[in-house]
Formats: sequence, structure tokens, C-alpha cells
Amino acid sequence: MLREDSTIGNVKYAVLKRVAQLTYEGKLEENIDQIPYELIPGPQANFRCCIYREREIIRQRVRLTQGKSPSVNHDNKNIVQVINSACEGCPIARFSVTSNCQKCMSKKCQQACNFGAITMGSDKAHIDQKKCKECGRCAQACPYNAIADLMRPCKRSCPVDAIKMDENGIVVIDEEKCIQCGACIKDCPFGAIADRSFLVDVIHVLRTQGVDVYAMVAPAIEGKFGAKADMGALREAIKDLGFKDMYEVALGGDMVADAEAKEWAEAYKEGKKMTTSCCPAFVNMIKQHFPQVLKNMSTTVSPMAAVSRMIKTMDSNAITVFIGPCIAKKSEVIDSIGTNNADYALTFDELRAMFAAKQIDPEEYEAKELQQGSIYGKEFARSGGVTAAVVEALTEQEETINIKVRECNGAAECKKALMQLKAGKLPEDFMEGMACMGGCVNGPGTLISELEAKKDRIALLAKADKRNIKENLDEYKDVQFSMHRKSK
Amino acid sequence: MVITICIGSSCHLKGSRKIVDQFNELIMVNKVEDKVSLNGSFCIGECMNGVCVKIDGALYSVLPETAEDFFHKEVMGRLQ
Repeated sequence: MLREDSTIGNVKYAVLKRVAQLTYEGKLEENIDQIPYELIPGPQANFRCCIYREREIIRQRVRLTQGKSPSVNHDNKNIVQVINSACEGCPIARFSVTSNCQKCMSKKCQQACNFGAITMGSDKAHIDQKKCKECGRCAQACPYNAIADLMRPCKRSCPVDAIKMDENGIVVIDEEKCIQCGACIKDCPFGAIADRSFLVDVIHVLRTQGVDVYAMVAPAIEGKFGAKADMGALREAIKDLGFKDMYEVALGGDMVADAEAKEWAEAYKEGKKMTTSCCPAFVNMIKQHFPQVLKNMSTTVSPMAAVSRMIKTMDSNAITVFIGPCIAKKSEVIDSIGTNNADYALTFDELRAMFAAKQIDPEEYEAKELQQGSIYGKEFARSGGVTAAVVEALTEQEETINIKVRECNGAAECKKALMQLKAGKLPEDFMEGMACMGGCVNGPGTLISELEAKKDRIALLAKADKRNIKENLDEYKDVQFSMHRKSK
Repeated sequence: MVITICIGSSCHLKGSRKIVDQFNELIMVNKVEDKVSLNGSFCIGECMNGVCVKIDGALYSVLPETAEDFFHKEVMGRLQ
């Protein structure tokens, strides 16, 4: 489970768990003001300067858990939000000279600087922050690595330059630019950026009589809840949370691979280049930063949307809840209302908090085996997995075309390839876009890193049988629904 | 014009999804696909007055029974 040194993780988890408990008991409203005092009893501060600041951070985190913006007067529709009481306003002087400086004779730093910002002090070089343009040449030039690049971690993490500072150095997110990838949430060492949650909403509908709520778990789940939590065990554990049933989104991965293979084959014959459309942060990147490329984006819906449509075709009153490692999926939910997509999206951390609130451990369930996705669908969660699945589907459809695919691993690679595509200079025929490095398995919605989960994931995936995509989809061929977005 | 519809649990149970379907249909029937789009929203905090619908920052309370009248008055009204 969580490592003891993960203070941010523990704070986040404690808030989610307490809110989940109170919501399950139907006592959230009357006890909400008490949560900061319960979690920070005092009188000693645990992780910040004083208990009053700690309690304010908890209070803002509770608001996020309810889907609200942390500050009353900073409301906007962004999923990724700044907990301003937790933001440390890190020093923004980006380049600074460390004690490694030998005040050497060559003074390469000074020569490298085009802005005259570097002078020699009594014992080391000095950077005049008023003149520094943050180009970084001095740091590259120094033979002792004595110039440190102190770019704020949030700013460094953002692939689309959406992070700004206000006059007090507190982070502000430019929602026109933000693609909700959640990289800053993962990288802020003070836990000052976090995502809004549907946790309270989902528990409310789970507690409502006569409503069928279905869970749809992302293919990245295997390994995140331990080696014994296979799909069968997870399904039973999730049902004990109040869900009617659980489906694997890996099944949606198979559906997407099948549909995209047909699309790609057609596009290839027309000489048209195409991108994937399953990663919502990648889709947001295209919509907000490369709208010229929208015509090249596959019209196939995401695996989440595919499974949701399937469930709603079978049960038209169903409420569908996606559970995954992804924060951008919450924006997909908000942006795709009225299309039978998921009604809510939760993260693995939120699911973990719900399990804890109900004292459920999925590893303790002895359940019969369950497999709804082929190994190709399951591997959608890994960078390169979508490409492998589409190539497999093409082979199964007996297409003999030899396509070249650019597998973009992480938002920076996506951006580079999209720039090439926009300029008509992408050498490959297709591109797979994954905003998280390594794929969904490294998503920001889980405190359990890919490294910690890897061994268990490999063990669980080894148990999957060898069915191919077509064989798997034949099981569901009676359920008819569209696999494409509306044309507009 | 963007119509924002609350998808929080309270509004959901009062029929926000049904209202979205009704609006989608009315948008098609009135051929205003290019002018009107729908967007979801986290809980707006006015659960007692749900289903919460926002147009240009103004907050309205709509129910599936009143959705059609609302659309003609507030949406088509603004477009004319």
C-alpha cells in the first residue's frame, strides 16, 4: 500500500477516505466542518508551518472531493485545480549559481550569456535576475555543472505551458491551455495541485434505491490493487461497494482496436494520416492546441465510451462510472454529455478510499475467474499498446497493408508529432498519442506507481488466456451500438 | 451559445440526463447545431433548485417536464 514517507499521498488519502465514510453513512453535510479538526487535531503541526494552514489545506481538499473548486471565488470549469493554501510559491529565480562554482578562469558561463546577466562575485559567479532571460546557456556551458535549473516543478511538468504565477508566486492554471493531463498534480512536491472529484456524487447514486450503477475499470487496474486482486475479485469487491456490476474497459479497448483498424485501413488507402483518439488528454491537446489536425483524429470513441454505450444499450437507465488512473477522463465525461458516455469518472485513489471506507480489501475475495478483454485490450494501458492492438486487428481482418505508426510516449512526444502532422511533415502514416509517459499505467490518478505495481501486473496478465480480438468481440455481437462520435 | 447542465448526483437523479437528450433533440429539430452546444458541469451547489442549467452565467431551474418550454423561451429566444 502507500509508503509511509508519502506525506502528500497520506493527506490526500485520509481526506478521500473520511469523506467517503461520511457520505456512505449519509452524514457528510452535518460533519463536513469537523473533518479538518479530526484529521489535524493539533496542537503540533505535522507537515506544514502550523495546524491552521494544515486545516485550511484539508478544508480545500474536502471541497475538491465534493467536485467544487478549492476557493469560493476562483470557480472555473477546470478539472485540475490549485489548492492555493498549499502552494509554497517556490522561488521563481530559475537559474542560480551553486557552491560548486570554482570561479574558474575560462568563465564559460559569462561568455555563454547573451544578456550580460553574469558577473563574478567574490567567491563565485552571480546571475542578475533582472537581466536573466532563462535561456539556460550558462547552465549548459558550465564545466562543473554549478548552475542549477530551479524551474518550478509544476511549470516544468506542464507540456502545454498552462502554468502561470500570480503576483504572490502562487500557481494559476490557464484553463484555455490546460489539457487536464494531471502531470502537475503528480509533480508538485507540496501537493498543491489536485483534481476535482465525483466521489460524493458516485456514493450518493450508489446509496439511492432503484438505480443501477455500473463500474467500468480501466485496463491499468491490474497490479494496482495487489497480486491477488484479479478481475474476478475486483468485481465482487466493487459490487460490495454498491455497484450492480463491473465491466473491464479492456473490452472497450478491443472494440476500439477493431473499429480503428477499419478506419486506418480506409485512411491508408486514401493516403490520409490519422491519430488515435483514446487518450483524453491527447484529444484535449488536439482540440485546444492543434485544431487544424482535428480532421485527422480518429472518429472512434474511447474504450470508456464504448463500454458505457454497450451497458446503456443493455440497460437504458444505467448509470456508468469509469474508474481509472486518469484525470483527463473527468473532462471527457463533462465534454461528452448526451452521447451515452460515462456519467462519472473516478480515479483508482478514489476507489481505494471507497474500499477503505467500507473496510473492503479486494485481495481477500476468493472469486471465480473473469476475463472480458483480450490481452490486446488489456495492454491499451501501456504506451505502444494501442498500436499493437490495431495492428493485430488489421491482421485478423486480413488486411495486408504495411503501416508505419509513430508511438508517442508522453505529452512532449505527442506535441512534437502533432506539429509535424500540422505542417504535413509527419513521416509515419499514423500516430498513437499517450499523454502520460509509459501510458495509462503511469497515470496521475494513482499513488501506486508503475514500478510498484509492475510485478503484480505481469503476474495477473500472465493468467489471461490467448483469445484474440475478434474471438472476444464475437461474445458481444448481439449488442449493437455506434462506435463513432457524432459527426460534428 | 453553450448550455451548461449540472451532472452532479442530485441533478442526475432529478433527470439531467433526460434533459440533455431533450435538448439534443430540440437542437436538431430547430436546426441550431452550429449555434448551440451542451456541456456538463460538476455540482453547481444549488441542489434544491435542480436540475441546474446555466446559460451565459445565468442560472435556471429546469425539469424534464419544463425542458421544452425552457428551450423555446431561453435558448431560441436568445438566438432570435
